[in-house]
Amino acid sequence: MDFRWDLVWQSMPLLLEGAWLTIRLTSVSVFFGILIGTAAGMARIAKGPQRYAAAAYIDFMRGTPLLVQIFLIYYGIPPLIDRPIPAYLAALLALSLNSGAYVAEIVRAGIQSIDKGQREAAQSLGLSTWDTMRFVILPQAFRRIVPPLGNEFIALLKDSSLVSVIALEELVRKAQIIIGRTFRPFELWLAVAIVFLIMTISISRLVNAVEKRLKVVE
Amino acid sequence: MDYIIEVKDLTKEFGGVHALKGISTQVETGEVVVVIGPSGSGKSTFLRCLNYLEVPTTGVIRFQGEPIIPNSNLQRIRSEMGMVFQRFHLFPHMKVMDNVTLGPLRSLGQNKAEASQRALELLAKVGLSDKAQSYPDQLSGGQQQRVAIARALAMRPKVMLFDEPTSALDPEMIGEVLEVMKALAKEGMTMVVVTHEMGFAKEVGDRVLFMDEGLLVEENTPAALFGNPENPRTQSFLSKIL
Ligand SMILES: Nc1ncnc2c1ncn2[C@@H]1O[C@H](COP(=O)(O)OP(=O)(O)O)[C@@H](O)[C@H]1O
Ligand SMILES: [Mg+2]
Repeated sequence: MDFRWDLVWQSMPLLLEGAWLTIRLTSVSVFFGILIGTAAGMARIAKGPQRYAAAAYIDFMRGTPLLVQIFLIYYGIPPLIDRPIPAYLAALLALSLNSGAYVAEIVRAGIQSIDKGQREAAQSLGLSTWDTMRFVILPQAFRRIVPPLGNEFIALLKDSSLVSVIALEELVRKAQIIIGRTFRPFELWLAVAIVFLIMTISISRLVNAVEKRLKVVE
Repeated sequence: MDYIIEVKDLTKEFGGVHALKGISTQVETGEVVVVIGPSGSGKSTFLRCLNYLEVPTTGVIRFQGEPIIPNSNLQRIRSEMGMVFQRFHLFPHMKVMDNVTLGPLRSLGQNKAEASQRALELLAKVGLSDKAQSYPDQLSGGQQQRVAIARALAMRPKVMLFDEPTSALDPEMIGEVLEVMKALAKEGMTMVVVTHEMGFAKEVGDRVLFMDEGLLVEENTPAALFGNPENPRTQSFLSKIL
């Protein structure tokens, strides 16, 4: 059997173009996911009614397939608002909201892992609940949640391939297009796998480096 | 009478456990009150109710005549009561300097120069001028506890609460912390101190409270309480530890 290395090389520019979209989409989604997740994670353990809203959001996002969430936003919402949602925006929304729910659980666990003496010490200094979070609890929690956050980044990077179903030309969609022209699935999917692997390994390395740095500061 | 803290019929229940069963007492301005008693008798719970780290089940705590009400005056009153914990609870991600200035910056609205200046004075006072830029985990237990005292003092509190401040320390470090506390007492700071250090109680205490099983069993001057305890439970406790 002949393995067409040349095809792999020839496809690379297009695949990397797709990979670049994958990275952008994932990074921006993780960024929003962290914002949403921090708010939802804090709301989840608050005393007021916001905890129920947060729990409902988290359960919905974690209890339904990402694919369904993508369809819901891309195909489900436009008729309601009477205008189409661009694929990139729909993908970004779905991935951010989905990621936010997982990040929320990571943030919740991170906050709850901080010794309650820290909160008490801050409150005995007359700090408000919000200042206690902002200056004492969250900075310590963030150090602990960097590793699971890195895992979430990697998971989302892989899951982001699902947005190929709404014709967004990220890595997987690019490969499908090339295969449609060349009829060489093995070479192309192997190339896609390798590009994914390089991305995930790089992220892991990056996360490890950040983690080390934070340890030194501590 | 000029009472800074008044405690009236204080009870605290933890899911069926009656940690405090009705405590009433007062602390005068400038007084050093030492709380002793066996482990589990409710000393920490009592102290923590004074600034509402534990919310009393029933009863009233008054601070300078004003009953503490959460979501109303609690945050302000807490900023006027310093608290020192058995396990220090310094903020590990902040330098010593930032530990000491956080309260003044956020609760008192001081500016950075003012807060840093005061922090340096306090660190000098507890003998740690050279540690301002260290992180807590670079310090010994005794040094950490002295930073914790400086952190509480930075708020210029009207009263200081200590919960077994030397119990988590290696024996050779107990002295340095007690010295700082004694100096504070001599300056006239109002203090409520839970401790097993009977020497401290005798030397600087104005009054000793003996607690057992959630009750304030006996209170008296150190000389009277240690020299001539009236209650059999006090006698039995003192005979074990002295
Ligand atoms: N957060 C809590 N939850 C449940 N029980 C508690 C809690 N804090 C204290 N207790 C109980 O209350 C009693 C008094 O405890 P504490 O005030 O810590 O005693 P002391 O400081 O004198 O050793 C003990 O029986 C203890 O187990
Ligand atoms: Mg105790």
